[in-house]
Amino acid sequence: MEVEDLGQHISRRFNEDLESVRSAVLQMGGLVETQFDSAIQALAEGDSELGLKVAQDDYKINQAEVSIDEQCSRILATRAPAASDLRLIIAVIKAITDLERIGDEAERIGVLASRLAAVERPSTNYRELRNLASHVKKMIQGTLDAFARLDADEALKVVKADDVVDEEYESIYRQGLTFMMEDPRTISRVVDTTWAARSLERIGDHCKNICEYVMFMVYGKDIRHTTLESIEAEFASDGRAKEQSS
Amino acid sequence: MRLPRRWLGHISGAGIWLAASVLFGWWFGSVAWALVAALVLYIIYMLHNLYILDRFIDGAGRMPLFDTKGLWPEIVARADRIKSRARQRKKRYNRLLREVRESTGAISDAGIILNADFEIVWFNKAATKLLGLDSRRDIGARIDNLLRHPDFVNYLAAPEGSSIMIPPPNQPNGALHIQLIPYNKNQQLAIIRDITREAQLERMRRDFVANASHELRSPLTVISGYLDTLADDEEMPESWQVPVSEMLRQSHRMTQILGDLIELTRLEAADTVTHADFINVCDLLREIAGEFEGREKSPQLTLHLEADSALVGAESELHSIFYNLINNAVRFTPDTGSVDVYWRADGDQAVFDVVDTGIGIPAELIPRLTERFYRVDAGRSRATGGTGLGLAIVKHALQRHGGELEIDSVEGQGSRFSCRFDAKHVAVRRGAAENVI
Repeated sequence: MEVEDLGQHISRRFNEDLESVRSAVLQMGGLVETQFDSAIQALAEGDSELGLKVAQDDYKINQAEVSIDEQCSRILATRAPAASDLRLIIAVIKAITDLERIGDEAERIGVLASRLAAVERPSTNYRELRNLASHVKKMIQGTLDAFARLDADEALKVVKADDVVDEEYESIYRQGLTFMMEDPRTISRVVDTTWAARSLERIGDHCKNICEYVMFMVYGKDIRHTTLESIEAEFASDGRAKEQSS
Repeated sequence: MRLPRRWLGHISGAGIWLAASVLFGWWFGSVAWALVAALVLYIIYMLHNLYILDRFIDGAGRMPLFDTKGLWPEIVARADRIKSRARQRKKRYNRLLREVRESTGAISDAGIILNADFEIVWFNKAATKLLGLDSRRDIGARIDNLLRHPDFVNYLAAPEGSSIMIPPPNQPNGALHIQLIPYNKNQQLAIIRDITREAQLERMRRDFVANASHELRSPLTVISGYLDTLADDEEMPESWQVPVSEMLRQSHRMTQILGDLIELTRLEAADTVTHADFINVCDLLREIAGEFEGREKSPQLTLHLEADSALVGAESELHSIFYNLINNAVRFTPDTGSVDVYWRADGDQAVFDVVDTGIGIPAELIPRLTERFYRVDAGRSRATGGTGLGLAIVKHALQRHGGELEIDSVEGQGSRFSCRFDAKHVAVRRGAAENVI
């Protein structure tokens, strides 16, 4: 894990720059986490004001993205990083795009929540949605933790968890279809609910992307668009090789 | 300096040895060679003992020396004593360390030691449980990379106030109380306490007051509705007119109290205003002053609008801050007195003052003024028709707008109530565009 040896540079300033970029990404992640929490709370409690506040506050995440982007360009231009440092910068540039998208989805959930607050609530009080949200929340958290600790195992776990989220989204979608067929009066509400579920599912995908960048950062291998089994096989052998060599 | 006895003994022994070798050499006619041989033997003797001492200090067993008394055995014995003393001290420190570790591990509050860069130096077991930290990987990591709540990150960068509250990372419904204590030069100790239960109790209390007020309001509306009709009824016997109008007055007062209670719980629910607008304070104050104009028998009310700073906040809350303070001043000032209202700028801040020539407040009671239902003189304030909640509302609404309430008063001469709004909530006309959210 070369990336962890950030302390090896001759220039102390360079280390500080890299560390500060990493922290900035995680702080942006913290912002995204709170936005997500608020959006879900607005949905669960039917709090339209909170939902609108989430939509309003999205600009903070956008600002963070722009400023981190600038930092990265500056480092690329002035330091010409190589090897693990370059991988870190590339991963950061990609990860913040996904984080920003997660923020956008949270914003959308906030808007939907404020709209749903106005209509009658189903007897389940959106239990499926809240359940899906708690899965996704764990994924976001796992993603950011993996990024903070450069922990490829944790990242792999998150990638795997995405399947559960996809399944749940599918079942909410089907359930919505039956509701709409039974009672056309629920259509507008169910469509909104499905949109919210769709946003949650998209957030899961973005988390998965970020985790792939984390693995890229740690191992220096691109694992996008490969199957889980091949990833596991590759890194399992990699891990063994590392154990033997150490 | 006096040499110790063992050294004198050794030196005299060496002297005798050399003298003997010189004598021996002289006897055989070769003093130089005898001296060389004696010195070589002496060096071998010294090196051998040095070697034994070295090995002994290194931890090997004690090897026999050539002699049993004198300088060398004593040095070895002293080294032995020092070693065993060090061993004992180490044992004692280890025990102490273990006890400290165990006791900090048993504390239910999480403790984290941070260095100047907010990197984790050490944390106890409770931190693992409360925050999900991992003792194998997270030592040396920056705390704000793992505890990413924006409020905490801001608090870390600029600790305002003594502590903050955030939800724990693994359960959004809980509550953590975090306090940073700087010590040594650059180190900080973060104490983190799980206050989920306290937060829940607090919420229950708030919900209870809010619900009770709401529930009481509906029957009260019915009662005061009928009383209104009764009071207007011209056929009512004379003997009933006084009681009915008194009942009507009291029911209005109760409605007012309930309204204030509901307002107060609403203000308590959140620390910040969700929808902030630009509020033109000068217009607002003119409007409020207008409400007092028509009244009979009231002191002279004068507005002094010295600044045109606007505030960023909620209009209804700012209205109730200003209205309550002016209303209090008017109520507690005799008709011949005066009430002066100032709106002025102080650097980046804005200040709202109400100065009256009223009855004043005893100094020792000032800290209690913002308590709910606290009255300096119960009989008097009831007679003037207050709910006892006005200043509590002012205090909470001010907190939400980054304001502070300062009270100066001299009994019998008058009082000054000042609200100081921090720069973050003040928008001066010129730079207003910069503060737009």
